[in-house]
Amino acid sequence: MTSLPSFSAKDFKSDLKPIWCPGCGDFGVLQAVYRALAAVGRPAHEIAFVSGIGCSSRIPGYTTAYGFNSVHGRALPIAQGIKLANPDLLVLAAGGDGDGFSIGGGHVPHAIRRNPDITYIVMDNQIYGLTKGQLSPTSPKGLKTATSGYGSLENPVNPLLYVLAYGAPFVAQGTPADMSGLAQVIEEAIRYPGFSFVNVQSPCVTYGEEEGQVKAQKARMKTLQSLGHDPADQLRAIDLARSSGTELYTGVFYRNPEPAPTLDALVRERKEQLGKDALPRERILELFLQR
Amino acid sequence: MATLMGIDFAALSLKDALDLAVLIEEEAKERYEDFAQQMELHHTPEAARFFRFMAGNEERHRAELSARRLALFGGEPRRVTRGMLFEVEAPEFDEVRVFMSPREALRVAFRAEEKAWAFFVEAAPRVGDEGVKELFAELQNEEVHHQRLVLAELEKTPPESALEHADVADDPVAQ
Amino acid sequence: MTTTTTDLVIGMAGSGGDGIVSAGESLVAAAARDGYHAMMTKSFGSQIRGGESSCRVRLSTAEVLNPGGALDVAVALNWEDFLKFGAELPVSGGTVMIYDAATGVAPDQLPLAGVKPAEVFPVPIGEIARKATGTDKARNTVVLGLLSGWFGIVREGVMRGLRKKLAKKGQAVLEANERAFQQGIEYAASHPLQTPRTMEKPADSGAKLLTDGNDICAAAALFAGCQFFGGYPITPSTEVMQLLTREIWKYGGAVLQAEDEIAGIGAAVGASFAGKKSMTATSGPGMSLKTEMIGLATIAELPLVIVNVQRAGPSTGMPTKSEQADLYQAIFSAHGDAPRPVLAPTSVSDTFDVTVEAFNIAEQYQTPVIVLSDQEIAQRKEVIDPIDTSRFVRVDRLRPTPAELESYARFHITESGISPISHPGMKGGNYLGAGIEHNERGEPTASGSIHQQMTDKRFRKLLPLRGREDLFRIEGDENAPLALVSWGSTAGICREALRMARAEGLRVKLLVPWLLYPIAEKVYRRFFASVRAGVVVEQSQQGQLYRVLRMELDLPRGLRSFCRPGANPFRPAEVVAALRDAALDLQRRAHHQQPQE
Repeated sequence: MTSLPSFSAKDFKSDLKPIWCPGCGDFGVLQAVYRALAAVGRPAHEIAFVSGIGCSSRIPGYTTAYGFNSVHGRALPIAQGIKLANPDLLVLAAGGDGDGFSIGGGHVPHAIRRNPDITYIVMDNQIYGLTKGQLSPTSPKGLKTATSGYGSLENPVNPLLYVLAYGAPFVAQGTPADMSGLAQVIEEAIRYPGFSFVNVQSPCVTYGEEEGQVKAQKARMKTLQSLGHDPADQLRAIDLARSSGTELYTGVFYRNPEPAPTLDALVRERKEQLGKDALPRERILELFLQR
Repeated sequence: MATLMGIDFAALSLKDALDLAVLIEEEAKERYEDFAQQMELHHTPEAARFFRFMAGNEERHRAELSARRLALFGGEPRRVTRGMLFEVEAPEFDEVRVFMSPREALRVAFRAEEKAWAFFVEAAPRVGDEGVKELFAELQNEEVHHQRLVLAELEKTPPESALEHADVADDPVAQ
Repeated sequence: MTTTTTDLVIGMAGSGGDGIVSAGESLVAAAARDGYHAMMTKSFGSQIRGGESSCRVRLSTAEVLNPGGALDVAVALNWEDFLKFGAELPVSGGTVMIYDAATGVAPDQLPLAGVKPAEVFPVPIGEIARKATGTDKARNTVVLGLLSGWFGIVREGVMRGLRKKLAKKGQAVLEANERAFQQGIEYAASHPLQTPRTMEKPADSGAKLLTDGNDICAAAALFAGCQFFGGYPITPSTEVMQLLTREIWKYGGAVLQAEDEIAGIGAAVGASFAGKKSMTATSGPGMSLKTEMIGLATIAELPLVIVNVQRAGPSTGMPTKSEQADLYQAIFSAHGDAPRPVLAPTSVSDTFDVTVEAFNIAEQYQTPVIVLSDQEIAQRKEVIDPIDTSRFVRVDRLRPTPAELESYARFHITESGISPISHPGMKGGNYLGAGIEHNERGEPTASGSIHQQMTDKRFRKLLPLRGREDLFRIEGDENAPLALVSWGSTAGICREALRMARAEGLRVKLLVPWLLYPIAEKVYRRFFASVRAGVVVEQSQQGQLYRVLRMELDLPRGLRSFCRPGANPFRPAEVVAALRDAALDLQRRAHHQQPQE
């Protein structure tokens, strides 16, 4: 019986020192990612970790995986390109709420409907931290920030609700206030065959509101399990997601019990089917031959 | 939040308990090292020094327990893993802040020791094995001892000045 | 007395429903089978269907360089639509004008201002069609018959084509169309041209390729080993993606029609990061959107081929018209010091060569490379000689050795500036790719000195391209004082203009760069050494190549820009006229410099 090589969290920790402010929720996410990867057991060189721009997007560099800290809002297209080019890789994508749901918002529904086997972790802190505290798409209405001195006039987006509505087959939420819960949902998300989404309420200690900090989260948070929620119940999941912003539910909102074929699986199938029809590359111009 | 998963205290053997104790110390040591690194990178040297000191403490304790385990059980394979525990004695990420004062750092350590003590108190009645009971009692007392040490340090540390770092420090920088 | 010709330019127009372009395609396919070279361009109104519709077909026994100037034969199924095409279907005193008599226009009352064609034939095309098939829908087939009869071409080829095309429609329909074709031929026979002209038979009737710039670009990508295409539909480049959606899976590759232009190139960047040869294709508006990703690929040093099939701009511009005004963008877009090689094909045939070379350069130098095609080349059908693929080299990116993987630094500063590149899956090659500036190990940095070193690395690695003489076409007298410089589709016009000018006695030489950037200084300096005057011909308001050359080189005083925006194609005759002017200018200057007696 062959046994998989076993990894520890340390195997995924790189030498690069995080620039995050001490106390940042992203430290918790990072540790949870290390744990999840250790449990899943793929070596670091078989993992591609793509991010956009933002404090949370720095995360790939703090792991030993092949990281790609790309441009703002574009982690998902790049991650899909990687997965389609080499479906055997473990592909992760990460970023903040602005990266994912503001500039990157247009890519989310398409990544979901294509269903590649990719895990997308969004670190939601309701603010733009890297650029010094501007409004973000998940900032609550009325919030005063560097760009909303008189209070935001806009309703926030609801990432969980959107992602569920787009049809994502695995949707979960976690917080570094419950480290074991967070590591668990990340691990589950990675293991899930299909597009999996984990929203992390990851507070910003420099610009975030008091109610968003870990202490406050601990007081507010409720596990979906304690509510008796069945993750196979998509409609209930959507209903629970509607109260994002007021309630902090952690755990798995939805897990499709019958995972559909992933994009990479379908692509593999097609390549196999059509492979035998290939003209040798050297004779490709015969496509245009007139005799 | 101290979390342990997949551990049946009733059936916990002395070997497993020692291994658990070693891992708890190891986790705490790593966390203090992490904190020290963050403090150093963020120009908060006094807190950094203290966290390095705490990391040293945890390491010493870990080494002690590890030696005991080796003496009693040699190289027998470990059944307990790091994946089974979260932040038993290790302080949580949220505990540190840039420019934190030495007193604040001490309080972090104190809270962590309290948390560890609470864990052993809570676990003790569930333990089956006598040897483990003894070990847990010993560790519990260790935590109390550590708490006293920290408190003593706290007494020695000068009070926070009226002017805090936060009052003087530059604004955060946009990147 | 019949004259024979080796070259025939036919222009046809009608409404979309008449199948005039379809007729052109049949003509070209038939010509290919007969062994002719051919080139077909199409032009339309802006309706999706049923607007005005036209095509130009140039047949030749030799290589066709460009769509030609004035028409030798013009066919108008109705005048309203024919006239909408204006200068695209130029009728001259040498044209044989054919039109449907049903339009009721008298042969001496043609609505062609100031032009009297050589011969005028009002043909009852619709009537003939109805007699043969019972409907006037077969008018286009009648036209093919007329052309076949008058110019002695493609009889067998068209018949074969009809059989292939109409097989599904049943025997009755096929026979009716064959009749229509025959009756067109018979009409031509019974109404011969006053100055009959037949086409010579081609010397070699070997197999030919029939394709267009977009399709051959995609084929070249597959030949080069492209394993991934990410893109988005946009006129006039969509066909590149479409061919790949049919074929790339067969080679173990994948295509993603993404949700937008940015996602398309983003996926291609990802695939390149994953170690595969990777590509995207678009037109001007898409290039604007893709700019940020091009910069990312530049600093992350990722190979990537980006095809821009230029169309008239700016912004939405004229999607179905060609222009050459994206050169500035190709070279300079993307903020920061972000140089990238730019190549431009000049014909359907060399689109193959240029695309293959683009992949080679991208892989070798670990950089995005832009292929500047244009709508002219991309969408015109050409019948060309088969290409011998065995003469092409294919380059793969430099990968780290096992020794290098022991302590791998992705952006290790080497003498050449090229550092071995790993990809996910390669043990020991783990690194952080990023848009942020980085040190040799890929760690983010804000250090000025490292930034300088890294920027220098990225520039330095491209230097060898400046010596690529093989990426230039030079024709003509080596010591000629007159220069003709051109690129892209305009080069085909200029190659013909060169022949005409030299036949007139002008001492001219021609330079056509396939490599537009970096500027190969040595090549230009050698070429311009003997030059005192000349023109740089291109389709843009600003004369972008001319200005870029002026930016980087000392140009001969008398070298001028001859440029204008797209949808106003150059004709060889006007280029020759410009060269004559340059020659005169040169004479005058020389005369002034001589001491007066």
